Amino acid sequence: MATTTVALSKPQRGGRWSPWLFALPALIVYVGFLVYPALSSLWFSLTDWDGLSATYNFVGLDNYLKMPSDPVVVTAVKNNLIWTVVTIAVPTVIGLLLAIALNGKVHGKPILRLIFYTPAVLPLVSIASIWGWLYNPQYGAINSFLRLIGLDGLATAWLGQDSTALWAVMVPAIWLRTGFPMLLYLAALQSIPNELYEAATVDGASKWQQFWNVTMPSLRPAHYIVLALSLIDSFKVFDMIYAMTYGGPGTSTQVMGTWMYFNVFQYYQAGYGTAIAVVITLVAIAVGIPYVRSQTKEAS
Amino acid sequence: MTLTAPIQVDVPLESAGPVKAPRTKRGLVMTLVLAVIALFWISPLALLVVTAVRPLADFIGNGPLSWPDQLTWSNFKDAWGIGNFATTYKNSAILALIKVPLGVLVSAMLGFALAKLRMKFRRTVMFTVFLGLTIPIYITIVPVFIMMRSAGATDSIFGLIGPYLAFGIPFEVLVLQSFFRQLPDEIIEAARVDGAGDWRVFFTMILPLSVPALVTVAILDAVATWNEFLFALILLNSDAHKTIPVGLLNFQGQFANNNTGLAAGILIAVVPILIAYTLLQRWIVGGLTAGSLKG
Repeated sequence: MATTTVALSKPQRGGRWSPWLFALPALIVYVGFLVYPALSSLWFSLTDWDGLSATYNFVGLDNYLKMPSDPVVVTAVKNNLIWTVVTIAVPTVIGLLLAIALNGKVHGKPILRLIFYTPAVLPLVSIASIWGWLYNPQYGAINSFLRLIGLDGLATAWLGQDSTALWAVMVPAIWLRTGFPMLLYLAALQSIPNELYEAATVDGASKWQQFWNVTMPSLRPAHYIVLALSLIDSFKVFDMIYAMTYGGPGTSTQVMGTWMYFNVFQYYQAGYGTAIAVVITLVAIAVGIPYVRSQTKEAS
Repeated sequence: MTLTAPIQVDVPLESAGPVKAPRTKRGLVMTLVLAVIALFWISPLALLVVTAVRPLADFIGNGPLSWPDQLTWSNFKDAWGIGNFATTYKNSAILALIKVPLGVLVSAMLGFALAKLRMKFRRTVMFTVFLGLTIPIYITIVPVFIMMRSAGATDSIFGLIGPYLAFGIPFEVLVLQSFFRQLPDEIIEAARVDGAGDWRVFFTMILPLSVPALVTVAILDAVATWNEFLFALILLNSDAHKTIPVGLLNFQGQFANNNTGLAAGILIAVVPILIAYTLLQRWIVGGLTAGSLKG
């Protein structure tokens, strides 16, 4: 038997099929419940299926061509862009500042770190509930606080009007997403050798110069990971908006994810809804590929 | 040293950093500034707790920012019943207990094949699996819904296991294979010389040596499973089968005017995660950083 000879001559290796026995359970589940459904969505996006009936027609790219003239898609794309920029930039900057502060001589670091990271582990729906409750126009703590400090004029129905709703939903998202960059930056800061700072001090560099010439360059890998993961994450936004505003008031907080959901499950336009999901997925994959490649390359 | 990487990353965080400031004055000022920010940061949760333990009349009479005149547990009792928490807790717990060990096991097996076995098309498999990190859940919901409906698995928490496993695998494999790769080949070679096959190496050497990484991944996976919303929203319709996130959404509507009851309900939903996180935070912290701070 060929396999036996191979095994005998190279005892340090398993059989040729052995790796696949280890890999298959995960791969079957992954392909069956992620890859295959994602690919079959490509097919559904080319049909006029309503999501219920047994029959549907192939309509080619009609669903995709319809999108630019759908005013809600235009709003959703705009909201997705605003959401992405803000929920990446703000948590990253706050996270970095917190990490730098926590990396200094500060008392009670473990408890501070715990507090800043806590929102990141809460269920998204409960974060949405907490903030919906805080935003309550009459009994919400936010308006009460504004009245308390004499800014009565600012108190408003934050989630109930077009001009403020999207920004109001972004606040909890920032609250939730600051912890992760903070932790990563903190770990990265710990690994910068002290000698670099000592050398810079000897050379007469100010704290500010040290930050720009020693700290920031050393944090480059951390910046990369934080930005890559945030970008991938931000594009997928769904839960927070669905649970807080349901895309409203009107369509003012719709994003591609929620608009997809409404088309499929409320308006019975599964083909069109799926096409919307395909577009956002392609963008998410495109921005994610450099990160995925870096993780694959590093392995070999 | 590499064997315990996921925890060890965490350890230096406790110690002093590289900034050389006189410990006394500047440290105190910084501590004070951070404490104020932290207080502000945690205030939504603090308010939630305070509101949950006061009577509704007290809350309405004195406003949300006042100190309660009276304390009560009745909000929790009301919320527990109306929110159907006995059921949703049970469903979420069963789901996590089945899904998490299963997910960690199959991910560890794939991670072992990728990290330590000579596998053909290894790079292709890795790339395909890691690509899953970028794919939004909602691209799969229409086909998954159809699949589950034709299998008669909608409105059952068991129907969620497949999709949950699939979306957990990319991250778990990413972390575990990078951990396994750090384990020295020599010990595996030594076991092989003694006649151990791949399975024995996996179960008697790789898994026991990787307990820190396995625990980290399991915790993160449990949090993700506990919090998942979209699949649960779409696949479960009857109250008897809902998980905590979907149950919480319904519950919100029923408490439109009962602010204290709502606060108690949210707290009930959040407490297990908060306790677990507080107890296990050093593992989570270490796992996150070890899993992603490479390359």
